[in-house]
Amino acid sequence: MEEEAGEEPGFDSTPAPRVFQFYHMDLYDSEDRLQIFPAENARIRRETVQAEVTGEPSGEGEGKDQRDLHEDVGELARLYGLEDDHEIGDDEFVDEHRMRGSGYPPYGMKRTDAAGEQSDWRRSTEAAEAQELGYGGWGLAGQCQDLREAYRYTQGRASEEYECYVIPEEEDEEEAADVFCVTCKIPVRADGKNFDDHREHEVTPLNKALESAKEEIHKNMYKLEKQIIEMENFASHLEEVFITVEENFGRQEQNFESHYNEILETLAQKYEEKIQALGEKKKEKLESLYGQLVSCGENLETCKELMETIEEMCHQEKVDFLKDAVTMADRLGEFLKTETDGEISAQPDFEDQTLDFSDVDQLMGAINTIPAPSAPVINPQAPNSATGSSVRVCWSLYSDDTVETYLLSYRPVRDSSPGKDQAEFTLTVKETYCSVRNLEPNTQYEFWVVAQNRAGLSPSSEHAVYMTAPSPPIIKCKEIRSCEEAALVCWESGNLNPVDSYTVELTPVETPGASGVTESLVGIPTCEALIQLLPGQSYVIYVRALNVGGPSARSESATVHTTGSSFHLNKDTCHPWLTVSEDGFTVVRSERKTLAREPLPSNTRFTRCVAVMGNLIPVRGRHYWEVEVDERVDYTVGVAFEDVPKQEDLGANCLSWCMRHTFASSRHKYEFLHNRTTPDIRITVSPRKIGILLDYENSRLSFFNADIPQHLYTFSCQLHQFVHPCFSLEKPGCLKIHNGIAKPKHVTFY
Amino acid sequence: MALKQISRNKCFGGFQKVFEHNSVELKCKMKFAIYLPPKAETEKCPALYWLSGLTCTEQNFITKSGFHRAASEHGLVVIAPDTSPRGCNIKGEDESWDFGTGAGFYVNATEDPWKTNYRMYSYVTEELPQLINAHFPVDPQRMSIFGHSMGGHGALICALKNPGKYKSVSAFAPICNPVLSSWGKKVFTGYLGTDESKWKAYDATHLVKSYPGSHLDILIDQGKDDEFLLDGQLLPDNFIAACTEKKIPVVLRLQEGYDHNYYFIATFITDHIRHHAKYLNA
Repeated sequence: MEEEAGEEPGFDSTPAPRVFQFYHMDLYDSEDRLQIFPAENARIRRETVQAEVTGEPSGEGEGKDQRDLHEDVGELARLYGLEDDHEIGDDEFVDEHRMRGSGYPPYGMKRTDAAGEQSDWRRSTEAAEAQELGYGGWGLAGQCQDLREAYRYTQGRASEEYECYVIPEEEDEEEAADVFCVTCKIPVRADGKNFDDHREHEVTPLNKALESAKEEIHKNMYKLEKQIIEMENFASHLEEVFITVEENFGRQEQNFESHYNEILETLAQKYEEKIQALGEKKKEKLESLYGQLVSCGENLETCKELMETIEEMCHQEKVDFLKDAVTMADRLGEFLKTETDGEISAQPDFEDQTLDFSDVDQLMGAINTIPAPSAPVINPQAPNSATGSSVRVCWSLYSDDTVETYLLSYRPVRDSSPGKDQAEFTLTVKETYCSVRNLEPNTQYEFWVVAQNRAGLSPSSEHAVYMTAPSPPIIKCKEIRSCEEAALVCWESGNLNPVDSYTVELTPVETPGASGVTESLVGIPTCEALIQLLPGQSYVIYVRALNVGGPSARSESATVHTTGSSFHLNKDTCHPWLTVSEDGFTVVRSERKTLAREPLPSNTRFTRCVAVMGNLIPVRGRHYWEVEVDERVDYTVGVAFEDVPKQEDLGANCLSWCMRHTFASSRHKYEFLHNRTTPDIRITVSPRKIGILLDYENSRLSFFNADIPQHLYTFSCQLHQFVHPCFSLEKPGCLKIHNGIAKPKHVTFY
Repeated sequence: MALKQISRNKCFGGFQKVFEHNSVELKCKMKFAIYLPPKAETEKCPALYWLSGLTCTEQNFITKSGFHRAASEHGLVVIAPDTSPRGCNIKGEDESWDFGTGAGFYVNATEDPWKTNYRMYSYVTEELPQLINAHFPVDPQRMSIFGHSMGGHGALICALKNPGKYKSVSAFAPICNPVLSSWGKKVFTGYLGTDESKWKAYDATHLVKSYPGSHLDILIDQGKDDEFLLDGQLLPDNFIAACTEKKIPVVLRLQEGYDHNYYFIATFITDHIRHHAKYLNA
């Protein structure tokens, strides 16, 4: 312990631990962390030293002879130091390095037990000692002693080193800048002697300056990053261009070569043709001349023969001569009559013949042009690519065709008027796709495309049929029915032609617990949907129509509340003497008795009892609604199956269950009618608001005086179908229906 | 007030128990039945007091009415006291079935020799609830009362004389207007004397007329073939008329074909338990 005891002041006095403040990680540390460092550092120091000591035995084992360790240990220690660190003087580095190298917990973890401070430090030193002793236990006593000496030496030395090294640091530390002079862009110490120089300057706290500098650096880094990304993009773009140039030129070369070959072929062909023609001409001429020569020779022969014959005749007797001369003269005359052709039948010279090189010229001219493209291939419609007024048409072509523009033509497909010419439209497009706009919704269009370049037009592609998305449906807001667990939403298609299906999107609104996630119900074939919901929520609902082209835009929204059950009155069932108010929930039977005649029997409309039926959502849950009544009015409220006989009173059959109130001679009579029977029930307080609980789960229908609240009666009823609320007025008056209200707690007992 | 357990039987997850204690009010040993629902093992439950009819003990209701299932489901502690002091050795106490033993009529007698022991009104409204509150897991703030015949009368007067004390009240075939019935005349004369004005303090129909209007929802079931109804002992119409006038909410259900006995009670006991649960468990 004495070693440490002797050392302790040294540690406290030496500013060595502060060296640690220059660890890079400290730059980002808060001030309070900086404050706790000294104590921590002492611990780390200790541990480091300990590590050194425990590292010693290997070295000791080598030194078998009784060397004077007093002398050598310093060297050994230095050796160890050097072994690890190469530069014994570089203490702050050394310590960090050792600390990490010797498997001690990382520096960052140490920070947390800063509170340990001095006591912790003690424990640590004790531990160090204990370890020493332990070592001494297995080593030789002398060695142990020596080691202790060595340890002390190392320790001493270490602190010496610290001292040597650290003194300037300490000064620095004292002068450590705490503010930043913005003007000079250097950190200065606010109370330092040099601060006067900056007194007039703009200064900021160092931390702030550091922050801003870091921020600045981050900004610049961000800029650089952006630039790098841009450069990379540019490079890849260049690469693409490079490839394109290669491809284009390659194609052009091919093109040129083929053209060149074509021209050569043409020329060669022309040469052949000409040579042949010339030879034939020559042969013809020579033949003709030869024939002339032969006939000329023949003539000459004949002349010579005639001469000879005449000469012979001249030598003959007179008589003979005369005889022969007549013959001869005839023959001669005949001969002379035959014209000797002195004209040369064939001219030796060469007639001027023009060579026709027009086709070659054309070829030569075409050497820089390209062939007309082949027919493009039009793609079938991609799913969800259409809107209500546009479709995106795509096509492709053989890659080596050069195309300047495409001519995209279309016309609506209408089966109804095949004979009638439909207007055709053509668009000129550069790309291999086109969004065609201003189309009719939910309509099929026929598209075809022709490619074009300087050389001409390609053949037309096949015709493809694309379809625009439907128009958005229209939610029938007034017909939405709901209860706590579901809503029945219906809508108008909004499209003349049928669509494939509908999608309902629902989003819970303004409830903190709700996810707010939009759910979708897809593939709804009809114009209504029963949507399962959570109770006590509000939902915004949209509907989309779908066809092959894609979904329509969203319909106008509708809001559904799953508080209680909401229904509306079915005016088709309404007795003609009843009127339903504007808001749809007040039923009035007026005083006028002009409509005395009974309406004709009907299957949907009440004709006997002056009643109207509501449309309750077909969900087998629990439904509650209330009816405000006038105590003096005769009314009947309850439920009935949809097919309840309309020419019978409510409760007069087994398809309806109801409560009837009659007021006569200032007495109230309450009947709970089903199949013409009622229990005998006396009620002392006339209800002004009747609560009705329809409970499919327990097959019950209960009536309450909602104001008190008092249970009046409960029917047990077998509800094999869905029933609907019914309201009837036996005398002039009105009923006010309250809808979409939460079930009061008291009704949950029934 | 030591309680002596007489019996203990498990029933619908809870226990039907009978205790005996020395009543201060009645100065005799009294038995009462108490049903503790399963819920009472973990928390305080509302207390529902049942007052039985003439000749009954604490046993009739617990053995015949079949209330246990509903009480277990709604978590109600149901207490059924005896109908009168017993074994008081009062002359004439056992002479007739409709007076004396088994016919306490839930009044505090003012006449000798009855006034010492026959204080059933105080017993059922004060002593017994205090005893129950002290010894059983019940919530003193939530109590209701119901009964049959004489007990129905008792239930009605307890509720009407103590506005707000009981959350709800119901009755099977109650004696609604005893001052006008032969039973009432007999017992009131015996217990209260001949001054008929004193009787009105124990007459439901009369009490209604002075009821201050604290909310009370009264459910009454009445068998239409009840011989005592036909005999004019019960007179529910008088009560209904009074309540209609005072706008006190009553639903009187005249049940076709039912008579006065426990079969009738058993038929509609569940409705009554539910009626009380609605207010006790609200």
